[in-house]
Amino acid sequence: MTKNRWFAVVALLLVCALCMTSCRARKGGRRAGDNIGGEVGSGEAGSLATRPEGDLNILTSVKYDAVMFDYDSAQIRESERTKLEAVADYLKKNADVGVIIEGNCDERGSAEYNLALGERRALAARAYLIGLGIDGAKMQTKSYGEERPVNPGHDESAWSVNRRDEFVFFK
Amino acid sequence: MNRFLSVLIIFSLFLLTARLDAPAQVRVTKSASEVSFLDLSGFKSGADNASLSFRRTLESDLTRSGWFNLSGGGRAEFAVMGNVEPDGARLTVRCEAYNTMTRERCFSKTYQDDNQGARALAHRVADDLVLAMTGRPGMAAARIAMVSNRTGKKELYICDADGANLRQLTRDNAISLSPRWSPDGKKIVYTSYYRTQFPDVFLIELATGARQCLADFPGLNSSAAFSPGGRELALILSKDGNPDLFIMSINGDRLTRLTYSKRAAEASPSWSPDGQQIVFVSDSSGTPQLYIIGREGGEPRRIAVGGAQNVDPDWGANGYIVYSSLLGGQFQLYVLNPATGESRQITGHDANYEDPSWAPDGRHIFCVRRQNYNSRIFIVDTLSASCISLLQESVKGDCFAPDCSGKYINHAF
Repeated sequence: MTKNRWFAVVALLLVCALCMTSCRARKGGRRAGDNIGGEVGSGEAGSLATRPEGDLNILTSVKYDAVMFDYDSAQIRESERTKLEAVADYLKKNADVGVIIEGNCDERGSAEYNLALGERRALAARAYLIGLGIDGAKMQTKSYGEERPVNPGHDESAWSVNRRDEFVFFK
Repeated sequence: MNRFLSVLIIFSLFLLTARLDAPAQVRVTKSASEVSFLDLSGFKSGADNASLSFRRTLESDLTRSGWFNLSGGGRAEFAVMGNVEPDGARLTVRCEAYNTMTRERCFSKTYQDDNQGARALAHRVADDLVLAMTGRPGMAAARIAMVSNRTGKKELYICDADGANLRQLTRDNAISLSPRWSPDGKKIVYTSYYRTQFPDVFLIELATGARQCLADFPGLNSSAAFSPGGRELALILSKDGNPDLFIMSINGDRLTRLTYSKRAAEASPSWSPDGQQIVFVSDSSGTPQLYIIGREGGEPRRIAVGGAQNVDPDWGANGYIVYSSLLGGQFQLYVLNPATGESRQITGHDANYEDPSWAPDGRHIFCVRRQNYNSRIFIVDTLSASCISLLQESVKGDCFAPDCSGKYINHAF
């Protein structure tokens, strides 16, 4: 009897855990951009556009806020969405302008892994912008990994500002 | 005391397993925590600069190999006889090695300096002597490629396995990352932003300095590693919309995508010694962990080891994978036997140890030791636990991403 009760408790816990993980997965799966504009079901916003030829005319005066990330995450936080909407608005009003999305990481962990994580952060913003109607052909992604911190410090206040996507506009 | 004991036990265990696949001609059958006394007094050298440089380098190489004690104080088990003769600027070296127990001559060879200099010749002689007396390859002739920020920018550097001959390889004033040697030690692949301002993969021919772009696809091109046969690269590309693992032929005519992980980043591939498998890092589980995939692709197999993160694997020609594991907020090096899944910690808790690379002797590991945010290259002896700095203290700047040449030098393909 007690054995059965234990079994029930364990089963219940398992079901709960399963529900939680599937909820989390679904939340991740519904990130904007994943299925809008990109290849449906691939989880990726399609192949990247070829790099623009020749020297780019960088629009240094056009500045938009960096999108910040949680530690070891490439998820676009809800708080960062308005920043991406502002970038999308600007790109829509300036049809001849393209954007380089630069993904960055804090200094912790493997430099090679951070290079890939930075690219994922840039790609997450790209997917979100595609979801907002921006043409993927106007966007380039570039990862700096942990190589370009804005704050060279070694604590969370530095790390949190270093985990970011920056937007560089070009014609 | 307990910790010392457990360290001792770990190393004996390591030694035990290391011996299982040891070459058949092993002559030293002592445990590696013991070293053999080696008598060099019968080896005569003159007082000219080249001869002195040769002798100093030879002695330092033999000590560094980990197998020998040259300082005397015990009955010598091996004796090296011979001489070094300067012939103008070139050296001729005659060298014989004896097992003093059996009175058997185990080595005899005459060398002519091939204009590479006294130090290079000493490295060759040292590696031959180590092989003759222990049955194991040495590492004296290996070279280390690394990244350093000593100019303010991350550039590539190379030096000898004993830290001498440090030379700056790139002067791009950009970011250079992740150098890896070709199996023949004549080329280096690396990631650089210098040409397009995007991360691209380049190849440097060391003899000529000629540089060639191998991968400049849209997005990320990084983490390139030569296959043991030298004709292919494993690398990370994000051109299909996500950072994934690819195999590309060096001449660029074949490109195969191996991983299809959704919303995950792959990094740091390293080939198995037979070239049939690749170990790499993926965060598809939520944190960066180690996976193995066949060269034809398929479902990657997760290597279940402890640690919040497991990164920067290097698959040695000895079959063991060394990697860096984050445990309790600190990175430590572990050596894994992929056949059994067993892994053992090989570094202490006094600092962070990251980005390991096997030496061709299959015994030493070059890595980054980071303490108080100073990163230096260290040589870790997996058998004796000794840990020494590669470069002298006076060399300024932080160093990262060491890669040791000659990993496959004792393997025919």
